[in-house]
Amino acid sequence: MQPHSAIGTERGAFNAAPGGRRGDWTSQAGDYANSRFSQLDQINDGNVARLKVAWTFSDGALYGHEGAPLVLGSTMYLVSPFPDRAFALDLTKPGPAIKWVFSPHPSPQALGKACCDAVLRGWAIGGGKLVYNLLDAHVVAVDLATGKEAWRTKMADVAKGVTMTSPAFIAKGKVFVGNSGGELGVSGWFAALDLATGKELWRAYSTGSDAAVKIGPRYKPFYPQLRGRDLGEGTWPAGMAQTGAGAAWGFVSFDPDSNLVFYGTSNPGPRVPVQRPGDNLFSSTVFARDADTGEAVWAYQFTPHDQWDYDGVNEMMLLDLPIDGKLRKTIVHFDRNTYAYVLDRQTGQVLKATNFAYQNWSKGFDYRTGRPIVDPQMEPQPEKTLDRVCPPDIGQKDWEPPAFSPRTGFVYLGAFNLCMKLTDHKVSYIAGTPYDGMEMKRFSVDGPDGNWGQFIAWDPVAGRAAWRIPEKFMVLSGALATAGNLVFYGTSDGWFRAVDARSGHVLWQQKLSSGIVGQPMTYLGPDGRQYVAIASGVGGAANVQATRDGYPARGSTLYVFSLDGQTLSGSHSGAANPQSDKPAGAGPGSRG
Amino acid sequence: MKPPAVFAVALASAACGAAVTGWAVNSGQRADGPDVTLTETGYSGPAAVPLGGLAGGLAPPGADRMANPLGNGPDVVAHGRRLFGAMNCAGCHGYDGSGGMGPPLNDSYWRYGGSAVQIFKSLYEGRPKGMPAWGHALPASDLWELTAFVQSLGQTPIAPAAAATARAGDEAKGDTAKAAAPALEGQ
Repeated sequence: MQPHSAIGTERGAFNAAPGGRRGDWTSQAGDYANSRFSQLDQINDGNVARLKVAWTFSDGALYGHEGAPLVLGSTMYLVSPFPDRAFALDLTKPGPAIKWVFSPHPSPQALGKACCDAVLRGWAIGGGKLVYNLLDAHVVAVDLATGKEAWRTKMADVAKGVTMTSPAFIAKGKVFVGNSGGELGVSGWFAALDLATGKELWRAYSTGSDAAVKIGPRYKPFYPQLRGRDLGEGTWPAGMAQTGAGAAWGFVSFDPDSNLVFYGTSNPGPRVPVQRPGDNLFSSTVFARDADTGEAVWAYQFTPHDQWDYDGVNEMMLLDLPIDGKLRKTIVHFDRNTYAYVLDRQTGQVLKATNFAYQNWSKGFDYRTGRPIVDPQMEPQPEKTLDRVCPPDIGQKDWEPPAFSPRTGFVYLGAFNLCMKLTDHKVSYIAGTPYDGMEMKRFSVDGPDGNWGQFIAWDPVAGRAAWRIPEKFMVLSGALATAGNLVFYGTSDGWFRAVDARSGHVLWQQKLSSGIVGQPMTYLGPDGRQYVAIASGVGGAANVQATRDGYPARGSTLYVFSLDGQTLSGSHSGAANPQSDKPAGAGPGSRG
Repeated sequence: MKPPAVFAVALASAACGAAVTGWAVNSGQRADGPDVTLTETGYSGPAAVPLGGLAGGLAPPGADRMANPLGNGPDVVAHGRRLFGAMNCAGCHGYDGSGGMGPPLNDSYWRYGGSAVQIFKSLYEGRPKGMPAWGHALPASDLWELTAFVQSLGQTPIAPAAAATARAGDEAKGDTAKAAAPALEGQ
């Protein structure tokens, strides 16, 4: 049993498990709860203006860099986007030094099956292994000490359009993974593997029979429309559930107290709604499942019969918040459909649903039924163009994970300010090709010169923004909150900013070589210094801006910052020990 | 013009690498290479057409001058447009051909060659980064119709004579156009 080590104030709290050495960062969010809060405060609002680059590292891959490096002890572990090469960096050596490199050689066929760039949203360490998904639908584990492959498990056939881009998640000796491919008519699933061997322990589908979805006697959803037999088939036209997607391509969270894992599922397939009348369960849904057995305990569908590709995959933050005078166990979730939800973590009841940005597809929220009220004028019909639906397919916030500070009680999130012109075209299922049918043009809510992005401090209890920073380009980076009263985020045109967590004032910023779509993290080095790291390598959904002036080229570089840029001094090369003018002999590179 | 059924037969044999074929292609005299009769290479028909820049200098020139046997008339292009939607091509390459998961088809840059028979060959065989091999699923006539539609997307379709030099990377003029936007997001 994991200890319940709560971090918090009267403004809100979360379970900091699994904990570990102070200053390590051993999972993408820093903890099971998806808080992305660090207790480090060497770098703080009083000195952050002195932040400078300490060192940089290129992984040589040019697809979107969406993951956060992990630090355990004196080693940093990072994985490139396709071809998914892993690196271990020795932080006790100047540079730092590469300890090992692991090249898994995934199939290049995967490049043409990934809808939205050949990305990887993160990786996990645990049990002496680095574990991550390969784009060609395998999961691989690498020995932390040697860099040798420990096991590799094939999860699906990439030729049929299944890719894996989500961050593997480790808890209780298990690896939790899900598939991608919601645009290719896959059958969505979420699975647990044994961390020691890679053996599949259970797999739960998002559509199909109750047996496939792992719905049994323990399943007790709050709302009546989610109760009944085989709803994963019965809410679809006959024969369409098996290509109905509900892929699980986002972040996972885990509550040690209830032994539940939480994750969201993608849009239904095809994306043309008239082809699939019904609620299309369990697409665009959050599942709470028993971590050991995979049994569904409850589910809640954010966007029934999703008509705009809004998905439900965005992260579930497990926060304990003061609601109506008492601390309640909640899930805070910012959906692509532009509602900020506060759910009861034990039942799936909606406590609050508020718009965190502009939308025009929904006229409000019906708390009695738990359903958003759809504006019928925004429902797409084939070959009939809708000139302005907001948000577009990617939502007003995509997969990029927010951060929570118990000091302010705010949740900090990167977001958009977008609409789309939409024309649907009917499609047929052909394995391994897009099962899609949405023709789109995306543009700013505020017209041709309007901003495409924003960064928001959200008060989840009040259901309103505390402050917003308008951004010219989409904010598709994760956020990091620290005990130094700082919040870090990056823009897709490459600005990395540190802002005051209370006021939103920008205290420090630097333009990096490429755009930022990664996740900032912070750690204590073996030298006792606090560092902040962020990948600079634009791609993924940010590429919808590719034709805008000022959009940066791709990159492959991790930037690591410290106060005054201080880090270990010295070098491995001959520069450490300059020699006299006497020739030193035929060394490497000498042509004699 | 030969009827499509004949081409289907020819393609089936070409795909097997057979020396016997329903037809052969002769290239004209070229400034930068010898006159080639493709039946001399051991490969025949569209299989003999070199890949774009990937094939390198040893690729026999000539076959890429083969014209679309169905021509590029409006009916052929219209049929190709219908297939482009029905086979989910638009999902990767964009409804206007501007690209997305797959590369754009409405510019003058071609990874695997932009002449009619080179496009046909990419459709027929598939390509390594995820392009399916449609030769398994569709008759040759459909592939030629798709070829005609794909060529119609570009503002200036590459003339057969220019295709070989385009392979070498010295035909298409550079431009300042920005990369196309992916059509998709979601997963």
